[in-house]
Amino acid sequence: MHDTVYFEIHGRPAVSIASSEFVDAAETQAKALGMTDARRVFVAHPIQDATDDEMRAKAEAVVDQVVAALTSR
Amino acid sequence: MTTTILDPTDERVPVTRSITPRPQRLGGVVALLDISKPRGNVLLDRLAELLAERAPEVTIKRYAKPTFTKPAPDDLRRRIVEEADFVVEALAD
Amino acid sequence: MPDAAPAFTLRDGHGEEHTFTGREPTVVCFVKKDCPTCETVLPLLGSWQRAFGAALPFLVVGQSGADNALLEQKMGGGAVLDDADLTVSFRWDVEIVPTLVVTDAQGARRRTLVGFVREEWQAFAADLASELQVPEPECHWAALPAWQPGCGSASADPLVAERLRAAAANSPLRARRIEIGAQDDEHEFLFDQGLTDGLPVVPPTPERVLRMLSGTDRDPQEVIAVVPPNMAEVTVEKVAINAVMAGCRPEYLPVVLAALEAVCTDTFNAHGVMATTMGASPVLVVNGPIRHRIGMNMKLGALGQGNRANATIGRALRLVLRNVGGARPGGTERSTLGNPMKFTMCFAEWEERSPWTPLHVERGFAPDDSVVTAFAMTSGPVQLVDQQSRSAAQLAGTFGLCLESAFAPKLHYTTDALLVVCPEHVDTLHRDGWGKAELRARIQQVTRRPLRELVQDETSGSGVPKEAAERMTAEQLGRELPKFRREEDIHIVVAGAEAGKFSGAFHGWATGEIGSQPVSVKIREAR
Repeated sequence: MHDTVYFEIHGRPAVSIASSEFVDAAETQAKALGMTDARRVFVAHPIQDATDDEMRAKAEAVVDQVVAALTSR
Repeated sequence: MTTTILDPTDERVPVTRSITPRPQRLGGVVALLDISKPRGNVLLDRLAELLAERAPEVTIKRYAKPTFTKPAPDDLRRRIVEEADFVVEALAD
Repeated sequence: MPDAAPAFTLRDGHGEEHTFTGREPTVVCFVKKDCPTCETVLPLLGSWQRAFGAALPFLVVGQSGADNALLEQKMGGGAVLDDADLTVSFRWDVEIVPTLVVTDAQGARRRTLVGFVREEWQAFAADLASELQVPEPECHWAALPAWQPGCGSASADPLVAERLRAAAANSPLRARRIEIGAQDDEHEFLFDQGLTDGLPVVPPTPERVLRMLSGTDRDPQEVIAVVPPNMAEVTVEKVAINAVMAGCRPEYLPVVLAALEAVCTDTFNAHGVMATTMGASPVLVVNGPIRHRIGMNMKLGALGQGNRANATIGRALRLVLRNVGGARPGGTERSTLGNPMKFTMCFAEWEERSPWTPLHVERGFAPDDSVVTAFAMTSGPVQLVDQQSRSAAQLAGTFGLCLESAFAPKLHYTTDALLVVCPEHVDTLHRDGWGKAELRARIQQVTRRPLRELVQDETSGSGVPKEAAERMTAEQLGRELPKFRREEDIHIVVAGAEAGKFSGAFHGWATGEIGSQPVSVKIREAR
């Protein structure tokens, strides 16, 4: 979140992708950095022991949200 | 500790950090920033493919942090701001 | 002191909550660590809490956070309640510790012991024991001092007290509060939000703003001006917030308030001044006793850096115009080049060094009125260098020739000027018996030119348009114009070091109805 806040301040729409375990932490971080509407998108936990196919499926599950987070449509 | 200050303006607009305005569509360069935790690269590889499909006019550039334990180093951040128009950072776990 | 003591609930060191309800007789005693008198009474409090605690709430309130455990130890065990942010002590108006209060069934204070007077504490114990019909615990009173003064309550510590006042329900502060994230840097935040003039500002915390408001006895919510271009109403509080940011001391606030009142008049025309591509800015001159009271600079380097009052008063005014009025470069402020005066430009006149009438008296005030005058100036200060003239006429002649270049030499009747005469030059003029009137007349005399000399030519396209000149008669072209439309457009003050033959001049903006006129406002100091 630290990095995405930096990019926003410098005029680059940014989005973080994190595992669903991070929902609360991401909100706390965003608040602490003073940018509560910093965009974040979540994929299903677990990550570490997911297969490659499962990881690719997670990407498919969030790509639309990622694009939406970066644009105004 | 948060610091509280009083608003020095006429208060017609909230004084908060807000995200930068978004354009209607993706264009130019999209940076995919890998925070370098294991497995994130697999997701980013697939994301790069999907974005290329959805927005073929867009250029995808890959970057990686040296470590996920700290924010990205200054020179990496600056480079990304210079070279890219959008940033996707993944994958925090 | 309020009649009913406020209710509260606090936790003790073991995590248990205790409540003062105000609906039953209670004993409450406030203590803190590092207080010898609290040390004296803590063993008593311990034994009384044990003896009387079954019959009525016997609450010991500690002001020392984690160190309340030490207080419990000195009690010989028991419960010390944690008044963590000192709000209870503050609301109970505790100024000294130990303070012991006995309340009745309506919550009113029946008896108060402050510090340690052995007789009083003995009587208290005896009376309480008898009321509750509980045996009074043993105490070796003779070993205790007859009298021991208390210490300052932690809630009375000046910094703490300010924080508490700011947070209290009836705080005079009304401005919206902004939370800066824990990992956000407060200075970066202020820069990023566009709230500075490009240089760092002091973060305007509620405590600092409250302290600033002590510099005036005006109501913080009093609207003192309507600030262009936003046409926003600005309160004393909003000015105080920006004054904190500028780095002002509370005693400077009345000057900032008066300056703002001056600048927001139609006469001064702040909107025009801020918006012009010419880059005009208010120049503030302060007269009267306040100059010395707040330590303004009217001598060496008066127009430069180094003096806090000069620097921050001018800056506070600019920050209000920017943050409240909305005059930001690129927005409604569109000056081509701008100039450093837009950071700050404020100084005091050295009235005592001048044989002439001071500025504020010229403008109709009494000599011991404190006054601020605002001038809209587009450039300056420029140096008027004359180390050679020995007569008043020659020196004033130099001033005239220099001032003629305000805007551009051939542009007569277009602007005004603020002349700052340095002490050595004052002496040269005064030696020949010259005052402000003679100086003004001489400047006009030296700059008089026939209109035909003010027409555009090959050397410079600035001046009366050739086409207009071609339509004029010889008589019209022969008409002589001095630089300034009126002698009153030459404003004169005295300032600067004793040594040096260098006076200064500010060049004005547009005079007349569409332009700006100087405005003076009397400064209301707090009593």
